[in-house]
Amino acid sequence: MASQVRAVRGRSWAERLAASPAPWLAPLGLVLAITFLYPIVEIIRLSFTNASLTGGNYSYTLGSYARLFGSPYFASMVRVTVIFVFFSVVFQILLGFLIALAVDQGARRGMRASIVTRTAVLSAWAIPGVIIGIIWGILYQESGAGVLNYLAQLLGFGQIPFLSSPRAALASVTVANIWRGTAFSMILLYAGIQTLPADVLEAARVDGANAWQRLTRVVVPLLAPILLVTLVIVSIDTFNTFDMVLALTGGGPGRATEVIALSIYDQIFQQFDLGPGAATAVVLLAINAIMTFVYLRLERPEELS
Amino acid sequence: MSTPYKPRASRRRTERLTRLWLYAAYTAIIVFFLFPIYWVLSMSLKTVPQLFATPPVWFPIPPQFSNYSYVFENTPILRYLFNSAVIVAATVFFALLIATLAAYGFSRFTFRYKRPSLLAVLAFQMISPVVIAIPLYRTFAALHLLNNYASLVLVYVAVVLPFITWFLKGYFDTIPYEVDEAAIVDGATRWQVLTRIILPVSAPGIATAAILAAVLSWSQFVIPFILIDSPGMFPVSEGLVNLQSNTESITLHYLSAASIVAIAPVIFIFVLLQRYIVSALTSGAIKG
Repeated sequence: MASQVRAVRGRSWAERLAASPAPWLAPLGLVLAITFLYPIVEIIRLSFTNASLTGGNYSYTLGSYARLFGSPYFASMVRVTVIFVFFSVVFQILLGFLIALAVDQGARRGMRASIVTRTAVLSAWAIPGVIIGIIWGILYQESGAGVLNYLAQLLGFGQIPFLSSPRAALASVTVANIWRGTAFSMILLYAGIQTLPADVLEAARVDGANAWQRLTRVVVPLLAPILLVTLVIVSIDTFNTFDMVLALTGGGPGRATEVIALSIYDQIFQQFDLGPGAATAVVLLAINAIMTFVYLRLERPEELS
Repeated sequence: MSTPYKPRASRRRTERLTRLWLYAAYTAIIVFFLFPIYWVLSMSLKTVPQLFATPPVWFPIPPQFSNYSYVFENTPILRYLFNSAVIVAATVFFALLIATLAAYGFSRFTFRYKRPSLLAVLAFQMISPVVIAIPLYRTFAALHLLNNYASLVLVYVAVVLPFITWFLKGYFDTIPYEVDEAAIVDGATRWQVLTRIILPVSAPGIATAAILAAVLSWSQFVIPFILIDSPGMFPVSEGLVNLQSNTESITLHYLSAASIVAIAPVIFIFVLLQRYIVSALTSGAIKG
């Protein structure tokens, strides 16, 4: 009785407001609008101006794009980014998948070593990117302190200019990035493997399929949608990465390891050239948008409602 | 097909062989992922001649713990750690507050454009921080908000919000709506439903969300790198890049020690809580 009275009398404006989703979502919307929506509009606008970083008068122009696409650095930046992203993504997914399989097989057998392995892989992922860059910079040392060079010489490769030759540097940066990102692919694919129907795998086993056949004809096809989603997420992450490369090579030698996100930073904050930098940012934004669209398409709609 | 079942003895042998292969694989994986960290740890405990010795010194004996006291006394590393802790704590608090409200809204109401709104939240997660940092730098500079933790935390919060909101929404979705209805019939307000029923039940989910937000914001780099240039305010990742650029090769052991100090808190938390983190990441992965 008392509660009924409250329910009727309690319809203050505050409660009526609370009956709509608006006040619950407003803080989220506000924060995202200020820190994402506004900057996105602003970066696109800036890319069509000749504004400088610190303000002042400016006019609208297409000059930034003309200068960006006409610059010899643009082709080199695209080449570096494509090589870096392609090899990072392929090896992160391949390694991540193999590790996920190994960890899953061990976990099913109750092997504690599988947990230790999983933790080891994941701790690499938890380390901030710049510290990963510093750690690999120490490993790649070309002085007497360089442990990887020592190991390479033991194996008969001779001195390797890990960070001082342009080609080797791009490979070195990619390897460090694979080390960093494999954990993320592993965890997504591990989650996927958990969802595989056990009876299908068991049926394949009973039918006499060997381990390799079960993997290639049952596991991989069943996992294909998750592999695809992982591919897209990891690609987006790799296009956006910046911190590890900055700490490891700073984009050098020359511009041999200047991936797109680093190039944006370099143009704007090192060369104080806002226009072409903003235009490059819009290119990266377009890549993000296209890949996000693909990602949302791939996700099964019923899980998003 | 050939014989569907192998004889028992042969099966047991195959099983033993499989375990052997798995142990071999685990060893290779662990060496690949832990060796870099171990190497930096060993560098941090070496004398200068040991740094450059050939063959390398794998186990520095006796370990030079004095390298760490040198780093603590002569670099602002503790200051950086403290700054990071402050930024991360503020980020986790505000991100959880906003994400909890939004997750409740998304989980408990039906409204027009709900699906597009949810997808839009997700889409923001895909945008490179460097893209948004540039206009924010200009705006914050004009408003004198550079080198300001309040504006920095706002951006941190925005960066972690999409993921945390989705994660909590997924968690709230598992609580049946009948629970809310029963409470509302009894005269409870929405706010009371959230604070007295949903939140206590969701404590493990909130805790996991807090851990994830902390790990994500601890490793944030681009945002402070662009928005903070006063050395006394650097968080740990930016501070370390600053140390690195001021360090010659002779002080490699100090740089190593500083790196170990910087990653020790995350690794510690991670190893301690890895079960929760893994389950959070995997449930997030399945839901999208």
